[in-house]
Amino acid sequence: MSWAGFKKSVNRAGTTLLQKTGQIERTVDREFTEEEAKYRIFEKECQALQKDSKAYWDAMRAMTAAQTRIAETLETFYGAADRTSDGAMAGHAYKRSVDELDTVFNRELDGPFRTTISEPLGKMCAYFPVVNEHISKRNKKLLDYDSARSKLRKLIDKPSEDPTKLPRAQQENDEAKEMFDMLNDQLIAELPQLLDLRVPYFDPSFEAMIRMQAKFAEEGYEKLSSVQRYFADNVRDDYAAGQLDAQVEGILQEMRELSICGGN
Amino acid sequence: MKGLGKALARTPFAVTSKIGMAKKSTDTEFDEYHRHFTALEQGAEKLIKDSKAFSEAVTNLFTSGASFGSHFATVFQPLASEYDLLDKHPDSEHTIRSVTKYENAMTELRELIGPELELIESRIIGPAKELQSVMKTIRKTITKRDHKLTDYDRFNNSLTKLRDKKEKSLSDEKNLFKLEQDFEIATNEYEYINNALKQDLPRFLMLASQFIDPLFNSFFYMQLNIYYLIFEKMNSFADDAKYDIQNISAAQIAQEYEEKRTDAWQVIENLNIIKRIISVSRMVQATRSGTMNSSSSLGRQSSVATTSSSLSARSAPPVRTPSAAASFKKAAPPPPTSSQAAPPPPYSATSSASSVAATKRAPPPPPPLKPKPKPPVPQIKYVVALYDFEAQAEGDLSFNAGDRIELVEKTQSTEDWWTGRINGVQGVFPGRCF
Repeated sequence: MSWAGFKKSVNRAGTTLLQKTGQIERTVDREFTEEEAKYRIFEKECQALQKDSKAYWDAMRAMTAAQTRIAETLETFYGAADRTSDGAMAGHAYKRSVDELDTVFNRELDGPFRTTISEPLGKMCAYFPVVNEHISKRNKKLLDYDSARSKLRKLIDKPSEDPTKLPRAQQENDEAKEMFDMLNDQLIAELPQLLDLRVPYFDPSFEAMIRMQAKFAEEGYEKLSSVQRYFADNVRDDYAAGQLDAQVEGILQEMRELSICGGN
Repeated sequence: MKGLGKALARTPFAVTSKIGMAKKSTDTEFDEYHRHFTALEQGAEKLIKDSKAFSEAVTNLFTSGASFGSHFATVFQPLASEYDLLDKHPDSEHTIRSVTKYENAMTELRELIGPELELIESRIIGPAKELQSVMKTIRKTITKRDHKLTDYDRFNNSLTKLRDKKEKSLSDEKNLFKLEQDFEIATNEYEYINNALKQDLPRFLMLASQFIDPLFNSFFYMQLNIYYLIFEKMNSFADDAKYDIQNISAAQIAQEYEEKRTDAWQVIENLNIIKRIISVSRMVQATRSGTMNSSSSLGRQSSVATTSSSLSARSAPPVRTPSAAASFKKAAPPPPTSSQAAPPPPYSATSSASSVAATKRAPPPPPPLKPKPKPPVPQIKYVVALYDFEAQAEGDLSFNAGDRIELVEKTQSTEDWWTGRINGVQGVFPGRCF
């Protein structure tokens, strides 16, 4: 921090203290406070959106990636016994379709997701630090203005012997007010605009998001259901009736009964 | 203690066999099964890991989906004291009306997915773990077999050595007898366990592939069901909210998004509060000097002109808008015709947004007069064209060499596109023609 900056911050700390103790009057700008409150909500929501959309996308990616890995594992299981069994065929078909799904997802959906969701959100979120800088600058200038004004008032109440003091204080006050007003007016004027623009800004993203979700589910469903052809006819009903679980349990039991599992 | 003693007894042999001093017997048949078994072991572990990863991913997908929905809905609902968003943004009416439904749909979906996840947990991961524990006991048996094999080899080696010895002492004879006994025990034990393994491992491997069939089928249906749930929910939502989601390629989604993207991007770009502050005092100075000697401005016209230029920028082909936006930079604040509190020139763009905004607020001290934006008659600047220029895109201005063009917007760089008016037609044209 430069020396000038340090001096400024020390002076401002003093002003804050005096304001807290009631020595210096504090300017309250209702309009700004309201706008700022709204802006803060918006900022928070956008950041949450950014986080969620990323998590959503990562989860989709993780889903398809896990499926491809599962398919690979299945191949090892089938590979241990018989590569030409019906199960192995189905496993192979499954692997093909999840691979396709993974490719579709990475190649086709990833780009559009970037353009329609993550870029707009990222851009919006990137604005916030700058806006915050404006707000904090405005708050600092407000402190400067408050302190200059209180100095001026004191001089008017209790004129000093030095005749140059009053005009100088007056000038300082004017300058501080000018700076503060400029920043404050700009924020009051533009914060609502920024907030208002969020609607047209994010509007198209919504439809895109819905379409991409639907697309993802549709692809997933279509690709996977094609695997069903390789299953025996009764598998679906068996699954629904819980037969498959019983089979799994039965086989596990048989395994346990093997002599090599006795741990002798 | 017994185990430790055995381990100690086996160590020397393990070392000598590693460095090739002792003979080690192999059983190719067993090795083959063992290889498969090891693969299966790894497979089971991977299966558990990936099933977990999958179900975690699904959980994340639905939680973040629901959370995304609710945050999106919040963004599209009035914040605090805002009033009717619908009136203000009729174009976005569809979205505004649908966000809540979307939020609900996503939340319902999250609820729906719970049972599916439980199924995966209990019907897939559970049995897979069982399988793993079965495999662990088998692994134990295999380790035991390895130990017995070591013993067998060890005694076998010692025995052959002793037998090959030419002159045997008395103790050697005694040892020989003892070794023969040990060897026989070791052989029996090894043979027994090895045969058991050779007999049961293939059975196990077969069972394992039988095991994987129903497991895979169940898992497949669970996955299918998850996709189906999303698919169905999205469809019913889209039906309800009238969104077209049928047969749209991903590229098309992006393309239609681009088409629907409004000028909000540019307008936001042009806001002053998203420009970094460099120095406030310089901003103030610039404001003052801008309002005092307006004639020194770079031939920029009043806010009216700016407004129209940014309007034209809106209709201009998208490629060019960035350069137009960039060209706003460095422009001096507008002359007194504007009612502005003059935004800081060096690093801010004076755009329609800020100038409209400016008219709304009471300007701070400096500007002495603040009339409504007048038509920019007083200070029209003209440039004379050096070359012919044919409009190449909508929004371009065509002219012939020698034409006088009224400048509406210009930048310091002749590489940029300027805005001008000729014969009452306004458009953009390349600055280097002059």
